[in-house]
Amino acid sequence: MPTPALLCRQLIKTFDGTRALDGLDLTVDAGTIFGLLGPNGSGKTTTIRTSLGIYKPDGGSVEVLGSGDPLAVRRRTGYLPEERGLYARMKLQEQLAFLASIRGLSSAESERRSAAWLDRVGLAARAQSLTRELSKGNQQKVQFAAAVIHDPDLVVLDEPFSGLDPINSRLVKELILEQRAKGTTVVLSTHRMEEVEAMCESICLIHHGRAVLSGRLRDIKAKYGRNTIVVEHSGGPGCLNQVPGVQTCDDGGREARLRLEPDVDPQRVMRAVLDRVEVSSMRLDEPRIEDIYLETISASERSQ
Amino acid sequence: MSLALVLTIARREFLARVRSKAFIVMTVLVPSFLGLYMLAVPMLAGSRNNDLRVAILDAGTGLGASLAERLRAIERPHIAITQTSATEAVDPTARDRLNGAIRDRTLDGYLMLERAESAPVRVRYFARQSGNPALLRELRLAVQSAVIGRLLEGTGVDSARVRSAQELDLGAVTVSDQGEREGGFGVAFASTMALAMLLYIAVLINGQGMATAIVEEKSSRLIEVILGAVTATEFMTGKILGVLGSGLTQLAIWILVAVVALLQAAPALAIGTTMSGIDLSTILSARLIFYFAVFFSLGYLLYSILFSVVAVTCTSTEELGQAMMAAVLPMVVSLMAAISVISNPATTTTRVLSLIPVFTPLVMLARVNLLMPPLWEVWLGIALLVGASITAGWAAGKIFQYALLMTGKRPTLPELIRVVKA
Repeated sequence: MPTPALLCRQLIKTFDGTRALDGLDLTVDAGTIFGLLGPNGSGKTTTIRTSLGIYKPDGGSVEVLGSGDPLAVRRRTGYLPEERGLYARMKLQEQLAFLASIRGLSSAESERRSAAWLDRVGLAARAQSLTRELSKGNQQKVQFAAAVIHDPDLVVLDEPFSGLDPINSRLVKELILEQRAKGTTVVLSTHRMEEVEAMCESICLIHHGRAVLSGRLRDIKAKYGRNTIVVEHSGGPGCLNQVPGVQTCDDGGREARLRLEPDVDPQRVMRAVLDRVEVSSMRLDEPRIEDIYLETISASERSQ
Repeated sequence: MSLALVLTIARREFLARVRSKAFIVMTVLVPSFLGLYMLAVPMLAGSRNNDLRVAILDAGTGLGASLAERLRAIERPHIAITQTSATEAVDPTARDRLNGAIRDRTLDGYLMLERAESAPVRVRYFARQSGNPALLRELRLAVQSAVIGRLLEGTGVDSARVRSAQELDLGAVTVSDQGEREGGFGVAFASTMALAMLLYIAVLINGQGMATAIVEEKSSRLIEVILGAVTATEFMTGKILGVLGSGLTQLAIWILVAVVALLQAAPALAIGTTMSGIDLSTILSARLIFYFAVFFSLGYLLYSILFSVVAVTCTSTEELGQAMMAAVLPMVVSLMAAISVISNPATTTTRVLSLIPVFTPLVMLARVNLLMPPLWEVWLGIALLVGASITAGWAAGKIFQYALLMTGKRPTLPELIRVVKA
């Protein structure tokens, strides 16, 4: 069995008497894109910081790329934090070269790679511009480049898409997939469930510092079964709220996702839908990761 | 701790500091001002005061003629007496005329002599520029000489000898284990203050720059990007080394410029100023330069650590402005202590103060400059300073680890104490 890129066992981290991590177990397989999910304040950032050696755990253990000391392998890890910035009065290429050099690259190699990365993210012409002269989106592309410029074996990306327009989002997505193709393990912490759905092979859902759901996305979805009816309709919002046999209804007005109650016959529900609205298409589908997320967090809240 | 990473952080900090406008302005301005001052003093002394046109208004004292004679005898500045008028009482019309001549710049000034009840004579000097102490001293001596001359009339005492007795100066020589050194309070005060101010300004400017950078790195969230690659201790050590490097660079430039300026300006400086006759080599000895470099480096290091700790506990530059008062306070106190040392270099208070690490750089340096203390005291001060810097660095590392990622809320003092103890 290959060594996991990241392995947390019973991880505990306490701040001022509050447990931010409460016995967290986490396994990230090498060479995969892994989704680290959870509501705000659930412990995702603390998990990342502890995994990268920024925080020392109060209990449990962390193994990064086979090493029990994250600091010992920090040249092989990359990190794009959610709260990120750059030196405002520093030139772009100089800045990127500096961030490469603190990852252990030589001065010449840092220069070479920073020029190449600026070219890759479409900022070669701005290499001598001060960072503060760049838009937020362009700064984020530089920050992404800084996280992977040293070709890490494991890169942690915390909300890499926040604040990006669709074009830059697509570029960052391409860059993440490039990393994956090179064999880099990518830990993706994000609230954008459509990106998780599209890119992640495995996920871990954290709530109150504990893993409440984890595993391969395909397996998780299979466990839930095809229990969702997706309806394209013209009835407007709210028209499918009271359909019998439906547990939850997520209706945007043009497309509705009806989550079925356990052991309910989907055909019976479909007929009930047809009786109520004009339908242009209807199909039985797996639940989205967003649905699973909401259901799991609700269940976790109820059990607290 | 990775030395390579520390040096990478230090290099960036060093370049950021030495490229900053504050560094360039201060590095250039300080020697420029000193140089200009050194050039300006002899030039002013040599030109403007060389040829003065002075009138004498004698209102009933009868000293006008003898005063004029003595004023003409002054070598520097050369005084030309434009007129001597004698009246029984102060003539307002004559004063108006002379004031008018001063305003028209046809006269530089006039001396008015009046009878007085409690003194032999009341004398006042009216001029457009009446603040030159060297000129006033010469004028006072001339008036004293004229008055004494009249008092001694008929006694057989030579008034010229009395005058030369009046001009005798008291030369102060400091005796220490290292030998004798010319110059009294003035020289001691000037050299001690100059050294203290150099350290004070350099620490303040570069330390403040580093502190602001740390707060900016925190508030811009850049710090977490960096902490993904280096530890808090490596970051802090690099920062302090970088700022120490910039301080030493500034010091080296200043010393170089000062030595060149002194060598160039020394002959000119010795002419026409009160420093005449002082051997500059006795002020700027190799021993003093050595100890200055030692105390500058160590003091700079200790205060940089203190500044960095203050900065890391702040979350905005506004907070930093208030918090820096706490870090600057020991510097202000030690600057005041260094001034008091000048008049009392060997008291018990001074000795104790010079061994307290936050005061050692300035106070011990002042002691070394004024009255060389026993060698063991100096080196005990250095050892304590090194020890304090190591301890402060160790504590700062823990505080950095704790406070570097804190935003929104500042850590309290009890929290910091708990962190250091842990």
